[in-house]
Amino acid sequence: MASPDGKHRRSGTNGEAKPPDSKKLKLSALITDEEIQSEFSHHNASVARINNGSFGSCPQSVISAQQRWQLRFLRQPDSFYVNDLKPGVLESREAIRSIINADDVSEVSIVDNATTAAAIVLQQMAWAFAEGRFEKGDVAVMLHYAYGAVKKSMEAYVTRAGGRVVEVQLPFPVKSNEEIITEFKLALERGKLKGQRIRLAVIDHVTSMPSVVIPVKELVKICREEGVDQVFVDAAHGIGCVDVDMKEIGADFYASNLHKWFFCPPSAAFLYCRKSAKFSDLHHPVVSHEYGNGLAIESTWIGTRDYSSQLVVPSVVEFVNRFRGGIEGIKKRNHEVVVWMGKMLAESWGTSLGCPPDMCSSMIMVGLPSCLGIMSERDTLKLRTHLRDCFRVEVPIYYRAPKEGEIDPVTGYARISHQVYNKPEDYERFRDAIKKLVGDNFTCASLSA
Amino acid sequence: MNGGDDTRNLGAAHRNGNNHHHSAKRPKISLPISESEIREEFSHHEEGVARINNGSFGSCPASVQSAQKNWQLRFLRQPDDFYHNTLSEGVLHSRTIIKGLINADDVEEISLVDNATTAAAIVLQQVGRGFAESRFNPGDSVVMLHCAFQAVKKSIQAYVTRAGGSVVEVELPFPVTSKEEVIDAFRLGLRRGKQDGKTYRLAIIDHITSMPSVVLPVKDLVSICREEGVERVFVDAAHAIGSVKIDVKEIGAEFYVSNLHKWFFCPPSVAFLYCKKFELSKDMRHPVAFQEHGNDLPVGNAWTGTRDYSSQLVVHSAMEFVERFEGGLEGIMARNQRDVVEMGKMLADSWGTNLGSPPEMCASMVMVGLPSRLLITSGDDALRLRSYLRVNYGVEVPIHYQAQSQREEGDGPRDKDGGRITGYARISHQVYNVADDYYKFRDAINELLKKEFTCRMIFTE
Repeated sequence: MASPDGKHRRSGTNGEAKPPDSKKLKLSALITDEEIQSEFSHHNASVARINNGSFGSCPQSVISAQQRWQLRFLRQPDSFYVNDLKPGVLESREAIRSIINADDVSEVSIVDNATTAAAIVLQQMAWAFAEGRFEKGDVAVMLHYAYGAVKKSMEAYVTRAGGRVVEVQLPFPVKSNEEIITEFKLALERGKLKGQRIRLAVIDHVTSMPSVVIPVKELVKICREEGVDQVFVDAAHGIGCVDVDMKEIGADFYASNLHKWFFCPPSAAFLYCRKSAKFSDLHHPVVSHEYGNGLAIESTWIGTRDYSSQLVVPSVVEFVNRFRGGIEGIKKRNHEVVVWMGKMLAESWGTSLGCPPDMCSSMIMVGLPSCLGIMSERDTLKLRTHLRDCFRVEVPIYYRAPKEGEIDPVTGYARISHQVYNKPEDYERFRDAIKKLVGDNFTCASLSA
Repeated sequence: MNGGDDTRNLGAAHRNGNNHHHSAKRPKISLPISESEIREEFSHHEEGVARINNGSFGSCPASVQSAQKNWQLRFLRQPDDFYHNTLSEGVLHSRTIIKGLINADDVEEISLVDNATTAAAIVLQQVGRGFAESRFNPGDSVVMLHCAFQAVKKSIQAYVTRAGGSVVEVELPFPVTSKEEVIDAFRLGLRRGKQDGKTYRLAIIDHITSMPSVVLPVKDLVSICREEGVERVFVDAAHAIGSVKIDVKEIGAEFYVSNLHKWFFCPPSVAFLYCKKFELSKDMRHPVAFQEHGNDLPVGNAWTGTRDYSSQLVVHSAMEFVERFEGGLEGIMARNQRDVVEMGKMLADSWGTNLGSPPEMCASMVMVGLPSRLLITSGDDALRLRSYLRVNYGVEVPIHYQAQSQREEGDGPRDKDGGRITGYARISHQVYNVADDYYKFRDAINELLKKEFTCRMIFTE
């Protein structure tokens, strides 16, 4: 930014959004295995970290970029606010727009995480009920396996405002997309039973626990056919995990975390809002100076905050482009390896996978031996802690209640993840830990409360 | 006025005196932090900038930044372990320290949130629900000050006006010469705003107003609210912790929020929201619903989805930093007040202008009248002058345009040239500031006057 008389420039920046010494990438040099290990050398090396799905991961070069942004703010915050913040966030939003094939950068907002995005989408529902645009009893549909925080949001903004929530019962283990599509159609029918309108469908792109890739494109189509007003795809595990082409998927709203599978530091997410979506008067719940200027702009300033995790997206793009095939290549290889590792574990334990390979992304559910005696959700937490403390294996476990009549049911599934820093040893350690427990006649009942 | 004392550090005589420390934790033989140590702690601040605006974005010493990085690294190293074994305990520790600082009864009354803006959204959403669920009647009102922070005004619009509530604005005098002026104006404003059959559901009062900045007699104002039938009071004390002593029981409001990254040396961003105990059962929720603890605000606030909570975890490191100063936090506050008033008077004397409030109504900020000849005639002029000073003189200071109030009978304060004072600079003083910072500002303005500069001459791009 030029000063009026060109002299006495005091600003510490040169007007560019990028931190001054970001590396320029060499197109020819692909990242090596050693470099990958170095980028994640801050991970606790003694832990078999096969749970990228919960909290994600962030390479050293992105952490460094983040620290440069943080320092820039601390150095001269007023100047940062006036000169650097907005262009920096705009650059991040543009990078995302390009990756997700959105038409216009105004459709892309950056928020803290998918939980915040869900609150934004659902809050407009609450207003619609309060202001009489929706009628009491109008319906919102969500998956039974929707993330807990989203369920709470539904309660807060829909049920409490007078709406009715219908849950789609999903089978697990699941054998095909058709099973999901059938249940979804049934739920829509239940929603329309009393002649009410279905105002919103909240569909996970990849459910959290148990983790399954949902055929969102087909479900969005069905929603349009059945007259559902709006569709919100909750893709907490989205970018970097599944294909995120907004025009292909066709939803009105799509939210994905950037810190889970897209190497951003905690925390950042994008919320895509299709320009032509109905009733889209969305607001950020934390209201500040930019209120009324559109969600994307409102989200750029929600009071003094550390916005550095939103500003490093270009640095992340540089990082992923050091891999063969960029983010697409990473996704593909994560998927291939996690399926391979999942099959290895299932074979070794004599169990099975929770879904066919083509219904999983970079995570897969692997059945645990039933002799471990996993009888409740509490047991899964205890077992998980036991694995963390005694075997240094970090993996979340899902309790699947047995159905009536099932013989020798598999009641526990481990959700293993694969990200670029993982190695076969991580899964071998898990394999051996479970084998040891089985060999020792271990049961969850033996763990203290 | 010459700059002969340019290298003088304010209060130097006081800093290396005997250690009259109150804290039981500090070994008695250690010396207070030295001036060079202070410089080093803030060596990341941009050189060549007279940073006299701590009020806007605060500041964070290197040792607290270092502590923050440790927390961030711990999370990145093994996030599941961190979440399960470390986070809650760390946040509880921070909340406990704050409870002690503000004289709250119970740590359950303290929640950590991102900033005062977020706290305002939490409280105002609750009010909005009151209207939506017909517990409040259309037209019931929320009272705010005319000079309330812009973000808070917008929040009121978003959650109260939209839900059918009405807003009563109370104008306080500025410049002001005594707290009684404020008290009288507030009482008058509340009475005037009353309407038959309508209830005051909430009053939002600043402890220290932002622009123009004045320390308000908040305890008295809360009493007046009770007298006039206001149901609940929310004190927006964004600037308070680290500027003034806070006793929430004495103040008596239902809600009280203050930012820790402004005057309490925490990194961006963290604030505490105090909710008097009986309020906790009444449905206070973070606007982003969360998974772990239902509607329980204090604990739930530690988990609003995956976030970087490191700024919430370094409160004890900020406390340790503060205790390195003579007199601890109280010493810092006393010296900031003494020094900012001294520098304010120095500027006002040099320019022939005034101060916006008496010393006892200042904490670590003071409003200094700007010479009328600069011709500050609008909020835009004030913003442009501020940018001009940043870019051309390396001075960072916010400027307030004070339109003539309709309430005023006289025609407002005048400077030594007889012109009306319409602009005020809000100067801050924090431990890293030196006298030079203010001399630089003084000289910049004097040079502008010499060049017969006016705001009309600033071209916007």
